[in-house]
Amino acid sequence: MAGSPEAAEEAEQGPEPPAGDAVRRGKRAAPTAAAPQPAKLSRAELYKPPTSEELTQLKETEDLFHSSLLRLQIEELLKEVTLKETKKKRIDAFLHEINSLLSTIPKTPETELTDQTWLSKDVKVPFLQVPFSVKGRFHFVPPAELKVVGSYLLGTCVRPEINVDIAVTMPREIFQDKDNLNQRYHRKRALYLSHIAQHLSKEKLFGSVKFAYMNSNHLKPILLLRPQGKDEKMVTVRLHACPDSGLFKPSRFYPSKNNVRTAWFMEQSTPKEGATEPPTPHYNNSILCDTVMLSHLHFLSNTATDFPGMKDGLALLKVWLNQRQLSKGLGCFSGFLVSMLVAYLLAKRKIVKMMSGYQVLRSTLQFLAATDLSVTGISLAQDADPSLPSLDDFHQAFEVVFVDPSGLVNLCADMTASKYHQVQFEAKHSMEILDDRMVDGFQVLLMTPKPMLRTFDHVFHLKHVSKLQGTCKKMQLLNELMDRGGNYVAAALPFVVSLLARGLSQRAQLVAHSLPQIPEWPIDAEPPKHKDVGPLTFGLLFVPEFAASTLEKGPQADHPEALEFRTFWGDKSELRRFQDGSICEAVVWEASTVCQKRLIPEQIIRHLLKLHADIPESSICYTGALLESVIKTGKEAQGTGEEAMVSVVCSYDDLSRKLWNLKELPLTVTAVQGVHPALRYTDVFPPIPMKPVYSFYNKSKHLLYPSEEKPCPAYITPLKIICHMEGSGQWPQDKGAIKRIKAAFHLRLAELLRQQHQLVCRPAVTHTDVYKDGYIFRLQVAYHREPLILKEVVTPEGMLKYQDTEESRQLELETLHLPYLTSSLHGSPQVGFLRFLNLLATFDWKNNPLIVNLNTGLTDAECTEIKNKFVAARSHLPVMFLATPKDQGSSMWTRERPSAQILQRLVLLALESLRALEEQLMAPLSDQDVKMVFRPPLDFYDVLIHLNPKQIPRHLESVDRPVKSVSRGVVKNSSAMNILFPVVDYDPVQLYLQELRDAFDDLALFFYDKHGGEVIAVLWKPLSFKPLPFKASSMKGRKVTTLNNELVCIPNVEAILEDFEILGEGLVKSVEAHTEKWTI
Amino acid sequence: SAGNGAGVAAASQNGASLAALAVKFAERQRSPHCLLVKEHQVREGADTAHPPRRTLFVLNVPPYCGPDALSRLFSRCGHVQSVDMCDKPGPGEKKDKLTSKFFDHKTPKGFQVAYVVFRKAAAVQAAKALSKEGPLLISTKSHPVKTGISKWIASYEASIVNPKELKAEVDAYMQDYDKKTAEEEAKAAKEEGVPDEEGWVKVTRKGRKPGLPRTEAANLRVLEKEKQKRARKELLNFYAWQHRETKREHIAQLRKKFEEDKQRIALMRAQRKFRPY
Repeated sequence: MAGSPEAAEEAEQGPEPPAGDAVRRGKRAAPTAAAPQPAKLSRAELYKPPTSEELTQLKETEDLFHSSLLRLQIEELLKEVTLKETKKKRIDAFLHEINSLLSTIPKTPETELTDQTWLSKDVKVPFLQVPFSVKGRFHFVPPAELKVVGSYLLGTCVRPEINVDIAVTMPREIFQDKDNLNQRYHRKRALYLSHIAQHLSKEKLFGSVKFAYMNSNHLKPILLLRPQGKDEKMVTVRLHACPDSGLFKPSRFYPSKNNVRTAWFMEQSTPKEGATEPPTPHYNNSILCDTVMLSHLHFLSNTATDFPGMKDGLALLKVWLNQRQLSKGLGCFSGFLVSMLVAYLLAKRKIVKMMSGYQVLRSTLQFLAATDLSVTGISLAQDADPSLPSLDDFHQAFEVVFVDPSGLVNLCADMTASKYHQVQFEAKHSMEILDDRMVDGFQVLLMTPKPMLRTFDHVFHLKHVSKLQGTCKKMQLLNELMDRGGNYVAAALPFVVSLLARGLSQRAQLVAHSLPQIPEWPIDAEPPKHKDVGPLTFGLLFVPEFAASTLEKGPQADHPEALEFRTFWGDKSELRRFQDGSICEAVVWEASTVCQKRLIPEQIIRHLLKLHADIPESSICYTGALLESVIKTGKEAQGTGEEAMVSVVCSYDDLSRKLWNLKELPLTVTAVQGVHPALRYTDVFPPIPMKPVYSFYNKSKHLLYPSEEKPCPAYITPLKIICHMEGSGQWPQDKGAIKRIKAAFHLRLAELLRQQHQLVCRPAVTHTDVYKDGYIFRLQVAYHREPLILKEVVTPEGMLKYQDTEESRQLELETLHLPYLTSSLHGSPQVGFLRFLNLLATFDWKNNPLIVNLNTGLTDAECTEIKNKFVAARSHLPVMFLATPKDQGSSMWTRERPSAQILQRLVLLALESLRALEEQLMAPLSDQDVKMVFRPPLDFYDVLIHLNPKQIPRHLESVDRPVKSVSRGVVKNSSAMNILFPVVDYDPVQLYLQELRDAFDDLALFFYDKHGGEVIAVLWKPLSFKPLPFKASSMKGRKVTTLNNELVCIPNVEAILEDFEILGEGLVKSVEAHTEKWTI
Repeated sequence: SAGNGAGVAAASQNGASLAALAVKFAERQRSPHCLLVKEHQVREGADTAHPPRRTLFVLNVPPYCGPDALSRLFSRCGHVQSVDMCDKPGPGEKKDKLTSKFFDHKTPKGFQVAYVVFRKAAAVQAAKALSKEGPLLISTKSHPVKTGISKWIASYEASIVNPKELKAEVDAYMQDYDKKTAEEEAKAAKEEGVPDEEGWVKVTRKGRKPGLPRTEAANLRVLEKEKQKRARKELLNFYAWQHRETKREHIAQLRKKFEEDKQRIALMRAQRKFRPY
């Protein structure tokens, strides 16, 4: 086990039986689709003269798409997400009925806005009326006009949510002067919708009538209507109430204008003398949006004419946004927004109407990647009317600027700069993927969901958003609160994010937040409060070089910026003298191990949020490193093994230097290569320096043996090192002789290391163990021609041929290929693990080779060749196929394992684990027990062999650390010299497993968690119990009986169960057989 | 037990002179394994290691039952000369006399077959008659068989080699080997350039005029070189028909690719690979 690659080790972590009962009884549950066969066209078909149509299609494919595969894939996807024609007809009929219903709603008498007694008790006004008192009078008049707007007409709605937007124009007589002020317009609109809702809710036509906030913006309630019966899920009609055009003077809503009076908002009777009112750009924008709905529709439908690619392009873009969770919530990058962006690019001639959907996607992503709308806004306004506000005015008021054709509305008003940067980051990343021919861009861009947990290195939650009220107070955000209609989450969020961004400046390349979302609600319920958005999630993407630095160096003490630095960091800031003699302000974070250093960002975040935003630590749930608890060892050591591995590697380096310089060796050492996982920093529990306690062992002739009376001694891993010897004519060319010479080398090495470096050594036939600095290194001599000699076969004609044999393959894996494995894990361990699980679960192992292009050692051509060869020879290749630059065609690490059943089970477990983990990590309010996914379910197995914990040498490594530990005969020590050689590589459980597998391999599968598992789980193989015709070679562990007068043999299960106990005498505590699970 | 009896009956019914012996590890086990024994028969009489009639062929020997235990089990039937165990039935090889203490060890794994060679043929029949008796015990008070922890500790002890012994063995082997290779080389040197009875001279890599090595790789290299030489001589895009051919070839390639892709898509569609969420 010591030298197998990481993937295989992961696979062995816990007992993993093949999936499902169906499998064990011999039936495959999965659809057995045939493996792809190379396509065959007859010669005549291949070379027939092309029609002009076919030529253009082939040409188009070449020019407009990367490949025909991508073209076909996109076509399939579009079929999947676009609305079917038959459904459109049903929707149209539904819309007609709504239209006729709306005009029949009766008028109401005029009342004060605050007098809402005329409304039925069954409807609650969908608006947070705070403060309640407001001037103005309202009465209901049936809508002046109804018009379908938005994506439905343009044909760009995308499943799964088909929305049809209807603009309901409120007649002019409802409104009075000054309705633009103090939410009067908003209240009237809400009342208008309430009255409609009240009437429609009585109609049988609808399956549900509900309220929602448009994009979770509480200033804009809408009414949702769904058809009755099975069509309920098909479509959602959204009613937007909007004012008659020309009702308001646009200049009242310029970003610098105020429309909410402080005195009203603060409920003071008289305004303060002389105080200027602050601008309310978001409030203004929320009214303006309503006034331009119809003109936006016209604008977009003009764009869409003669532009077939737009529809496809928008569908792709919407899928892209959906997969990245960017298209829902307050300040989202909505489908409407992206349509406007495509229109902008068309106007700017970055897109032409000739383009295909794929090219629209590419150009739009290109634009997003290259343009920072939070710095240089864009505008769709054609004529430069000097009276209109300028882009600068918009930048003053909003973080992200994209002005609509009227020149008045900022389409990105609610978006935070951080959210835009995330969009930009994703666009950049996607462009890189599209340009990289090695990656299947289609899968990555459009088919793979990208939740925050798998996107960001660290994720943390703000458990109680109501704490943001305190933040608003602390940061003095009264004006923003007024502007946002009291929504403290929306008001505080941009400031909190920019605070974090400043605090993490060098460490993080991206600080992102989840979009606050409020679900729809029934019309008889009170509208949701601001705190109902649930926990807010923040994601951090680090710059690996700086993320874990312990020092935050500030300006020199006498500089004016020093004060600013001090106020920003508070009492954490202190004066320090640096090596160059300067005295600077600095913050030093406490962290001794790598594991703690990785969590410095957590310290920073907790400190800054407490200091500047008044958010207590208890409200923050940081899920950056929760999983690491599984690999932490010991009580005193808080690390996750990195330090231990560094010290192992130091000792190894020293040993390899000594080997290089060893005198009196007949041949020189040409290379020393460490192959143990600890030497490439990937061991789960790296060894720690140890010294044996003599009294614990049996002693004879200066040798220590485990004692039967005592618990099993602690497991000491031999760290395997391959020591390549110089090639020379002196080497024999015969495999038996080479083995002997190698044994002689092992003896000699032991002797020389003892003489020249006073190291305690113990030679054996296949290796020499060296005790050094408390570690055991296992030296293994290798001769580069040995595998070749093992392969030699002489054909009858006398020709020498090389043929892989089991022995040669094993030797090559150990001496040649294993040393190539290097660590390539970066970022945070947790996100790495989640992505690994996701890869396991979602990769199409059956139809694709997993190409790991380490250090980009493979060229395009090589990759294509790997894929082609893979398709051609699929049935002969391992079920899990990995290709690397050093191993392009044989997938040598997965040749033996996993089997098809195990892979299937692995995929299933990975999927479930991922789901469970993501659920837990995203739910800060519930109890989190991430170790859950590491505990295997045992009810699935046929037999459980319970082991005696005292005889499990690695019991301390188990997922749930044992409460009481036993002495295992070693103490920590790295300096011991001249000692008796400790007991090395003695693990009874592994020996037991080996014996079990040797004896019962054709009857059962054995599963064990090598990190301290207390149970060996046994699963009978699906065909084990089928009576076999009597044959001398199939008699292993079976008994003979007659069936229909034929001699057959069946497994002797009772005896085998007793064998489990006999073979594991002293180790096995009990054998628990679930006899009810099988029949013979 | 009843099941066992049925087994014996069935075995004899079939005409094969198989007998089933119940065997248990020790007294306290409840369910026995059954050893199937019969007289060893060889068709061609090639198996010299296991003389027919005197040899008992044993199937399904449990993993904890080694040669010693087996020989003790059958010693009540007659003097056991040797016990040979292997993974699957097959002709026994003449054992090398020079068995090494350190090299080429094959530890028996799992269930084995065994050839028990008795001194007298009568013992074979006696052994088969054991099926009528109660279960045999592998591990007894007087001769306990080690399993589990005590076995592993013992084999750990055994795995520690004595360097001096190892060195002595290696030296002896290598001396032998060197002698053998020296003899072979001397023989080759003597035959160098000397024609055999039919007049053929053997060309080796060692002579004055070394020939090509007789390996697969060398053969392939020669073929490759030939191919390259031919390719160099060929003129491309020289005639008009060659141009036409290239274009046709291009379209054919595109078509082939398209066809392949269509097939892949069909497969993916069948697996519902196009549902984004």
